[in-house]
Amino acid sequence: MSMIRRLLALDGVNVVCHFRDDGYLIEGYGLMSRNDMGRLAQFARDYRRMIQGNADQLAMFTNMRGWTPPRGWVVRGVTQSVCGVANLVCVVDSDGAPLNEILLELREVSHW
Amino acid sequence: MGTANDLLAKPGVIAVGEYAYRGDRFSYRGALTEEYARMASIMCRATTMGANMEGAMFEALRSGSGLHPPRGWVVHGPAHTVCVIANMFCLLDNTKASINDIVGFMRKELANVTPDMI
Amino acid sequence: MTKLDELMKLPGAMAAFEFRGSGELLEQRIAYPDRIDESILDLLAHMCAANMSIATMQARGWEKVTTMKGFYPVQEFTLIGFDWSVVVSGLHREQYKQAGKFSLPPFMGVVMANDKADYEAAFAILEKQEPVQ
Repeated sequence: MSMIRRLLALDGVNVVCHFRDDGYLIEGYGLMSRNDMGRLAQFARDYRRMIQGNADQLAMFTNMRGWTPPRGWVVRGVTQSVCGVANLVCVVDSDGAPLNEILLELREVSHW
Repeated sequence: MGTANDLLAKPGVIAVGEYAYRGDRFSYRGALTEEYARMASIMCRATTMGANMEGAMFEALRSGSGLHPPRGWVVHGPAHTVCVIANMFCLLDNTKASINDIVGFMRKELANVTPDMI
Repeated sequence: MTKLDELMKLPGAMAAFEFRGSGELLEQRIAYPDRIDESILDLLAHMCAANMSIATMQARGWEKVTTMKGFYPVQEFTLIGFDWSVVVSGLHREQYKQAGKFSLPPFMGVVMANDKADYEAAFAILEKQEPVQ
């Protein structure tokens, strides 16, 4: 079984995608069309680079350590949230999903 | 850096630089320290990445909206302005520089720089 | 004449709009409804709010770590797209902040066709001082 697929076994995880550095979808699982997974992958890649850019600037301006390189990001919506770690992105339920566990798992899987 | 030299010769241009879309390489000319130019490159790269992402989102919403792919951006402060087209940035003194002239010149000179490397 | 109407008189003006700091579109004028509509302007306003915030963070940080001043407060942010440009400003809000007001006027923006865009004229309209109410 694909390593990232096991993320879907966690409560509240609806979609999980793995993408290349250029944003191309490598594999995706869950309740979303292949087309939308491609868009999600592209968005996650762009968003990751934007976060990286902003974190670099924060570190540069404040001289504060511990922000870069950013490990990931979470955008929490009313019913759905999106979290990204490395080249992985997940769509999860905002209510009830064990976000801490999901982020830890994303981090672990991203190292494989 | 022919374009950079031409820009530097224009009134009000304080400094001109180029940054790599990927990695942290940069080059510059004009009245900036090496450290300031490095910081300016980091900031310009970050904003260009953001603008590009926004352009792609627009394209996804409505194809052919006229914004995508972005050519550049301008931040206009009380005394200084930063103009960025493609991967070149230009720092201006507002009292002497013509933004229309600088943006027009950069758009023309850098029209063929493709965003493929972003 | 309102500022929105004034912005619409700029060469190549396609739309002028007002939006909240959080991005919501409040009012708009549209010259070519077949090319630019309210849903595009709504996303554009949210995008411009994000860009203004990031540019302000950059101006703030830059002035803090360098000896160069004159970037903060950001007067306008301009995105030069492939065919269109958008210029946005929140400068009018600074007057209200300085007057100690908590309720601030909206941000304003204009979309122009690149081939006719007069950025300096757009800046001049957006920077025109109006009495604090």
